[in-house]
Amino acid sequence: MKPLLHAEFRRLLATRLWPTTLLVAALLGGGLVGVLAFAGPENFQPPMPGVHTEAGVRTVLGFLGFTSFVPAAIGTLAVTSEYRHRTIDCTFLFAPDRWRVLAAKLVTYGVAGMVYGLVLSATAAVALFGAAAARGVRLGLPAGTVIELLARVGVAMAAYTVLGVGMGALIRHQIAALCVVIGYLYGGELLLLMIPGVRELYPWLPGGATAALTDFTAVADALAEQQSSSPVHLLPPLAGALVMLGYAVLASTAAMVKPMRRDVA
Amino acid sequence: MSDIEVRNLTKTYGTVTAVDDLSFAVRPGTVTAFLGPNGAGKTTTMRMMIEHVVPTSGSVTIGGRRYREIPHPTTMVGAVFDSSFHPRHSARDHLRIYAAMGGYPDRRVEELLDLLGLAESARRRTGGFSTGMRQRLNLATALLGDPRVLLLDEPGNGLDPEGMAWLRSLLRDLAADGRVVLVSSHALSEVQQVADEVVVIRKGRLLAAGPLRELLGTARAVLVRSPDAAELGRLLRRSTHPVEATGPQDLRVRGLDPAQVGDLAAAHGLRVHGLASEHSSLEQLFLDLTGDRTCA
Repeated sequence: MKPLLHAEFRRLLATRLWPTTLLVAALLGGGLVGVLAFAGPENFQPPMPGVHTEAGVRTVLGFLGFTSFVPAAIGTLAVTSEYRHRTIDCTFLFAPDRWRVLAAKLVTYGVAGMVYGLVLSATAAVALFGAAAARGVRLGLPAGTVIELLARVGVAMAAYTVLGVGMGALIRHQIAALCVVIGYLYGGELLLLMIPGVRELYPWLPGGATAALTDFTAVADALAEQQSSSPVHLLPPLAGALVMLGYAVLASTAAMVKPMRRDVA
Repeated sequence: MSDIEVRNLTKTYGTVTAVDDLSFAVRPGTVTAFLGPNGAGKTTTMRMMIEHVVPTSGSVTIGGRRYREIPHPTTMVGAVFDSSFHPRHSARDHLRIYAAMGGYPDRRVEELLDLLGLAESARRRTGGFSTGMRQRLNLATALLGDPRVLLLDEPGNGLDPEGMAWLRSLLRDLAADGRVVLVSSHALSEVQQVADEVVVIRKGRLLAAGPLRELLGTARAVLVRSPDAAELGRLLRRSTHPVEATGPQDLRVRGLDPAQVGDLAAAHGLRVHGLASEHSSLEQLFLDLTGDRTCA
């Protein structure tokens, strides 16, 4: 397994994609949170609670959750680019046990996702605390809680990266896999929730599990409000993380049942 | 022991049979040419050797084992198929990735860049490589583990005459080292200069396998020019020798030498204006065996 991991890390670092991805993480983390915190949500149209309130801080940090498509897309490329550029021929020649190839990619991209999450969260923390200090505003949440929430956002990013790897292995076609993963994140799940009864499943869906993990409950609250029913109870954060990893394992296992075993001709 | 044994190998895709009950063996220390028309099943057969394609029935073993059962498989087998590089990786990056995967030291990468004349292009992205350079990088990847068996699918594609000469000498050296070298090619005249053995297939079935010299011997023909060609042809056919009329006065006769054909004609009072041994070529053998003018 060690040679495969070594090779996958070399592959990840061989192009400019990885440094560019980290730059994007810094721009999304530091840039997005910085702009929101500097401008102040209370000045938005319509106005939202300011960062001096708990709701305001949670809203600003909650926006980070919407950037999960970036690590998901990067993860998706792990397997699909091998099929696209036909390097899979060489890879399966050097590593005929195909599940090992997929396992090495899951581990490598899990680590890469953690690094991505760390850069995103660290730059977001700097931007949020910096903006608050510059504006002379006292944040509505204690620093320790802010850091915990950001750490949970970081873990969610790693989970999305790994989920992307699994989905890429399952679908194999690069564009199709990107469309499915990003399409689901940006609408597929909300459409799904319109089906009567599916709402009850929300805590177990990727979006619900991410909400549990990041403690960003806007969608859950909206669902409760919209159907004027009892609030949707999200899973505990750790369970949310495990559900996300569960989806990654499920997609990878499904990939190993058929798509990854198909003939390479 | 690094022989390739192909036994009753069959691969079907739906109703299409790509490889049909194919059996042959490839021995070490020889260059074996794997020939057949387009779509004959050569690439499918070679991909079954490394389990990229799962056979419908039958088996392939290399050194007595299935590919997946070989410990450190790339020390045993190196393979070249279509170029497969990430266009943004440099040649060195590509080799370093697979060196890591095979557990080979980075100095092996540098050795191969030198051996294959890629040292100066090592930092260039493979997306800008010429076909010849891609073939060299393909070979370098196959040679990372210094394998005992080389499976090369059309390795000469895109090589200029100088590149072909270099490839021939490389294949010779590899075989002389006691390795198994199986090479599919459509450049028959090039293959003829380097192959010791040939395996010819058509529609997934074996047509011929054996030493090239022996196969060319059986394929030798005599070209006869005679105003009495029709009569001479009938006479030869009666004595069960294969005859082909190549013109109104021209015949192509197999199984006899020029003297035998001349004597037979004289014995029956038939005129002969020209008599020559046909230069036996792999291309002719190939066309005779496959009955196909499109060779690949």
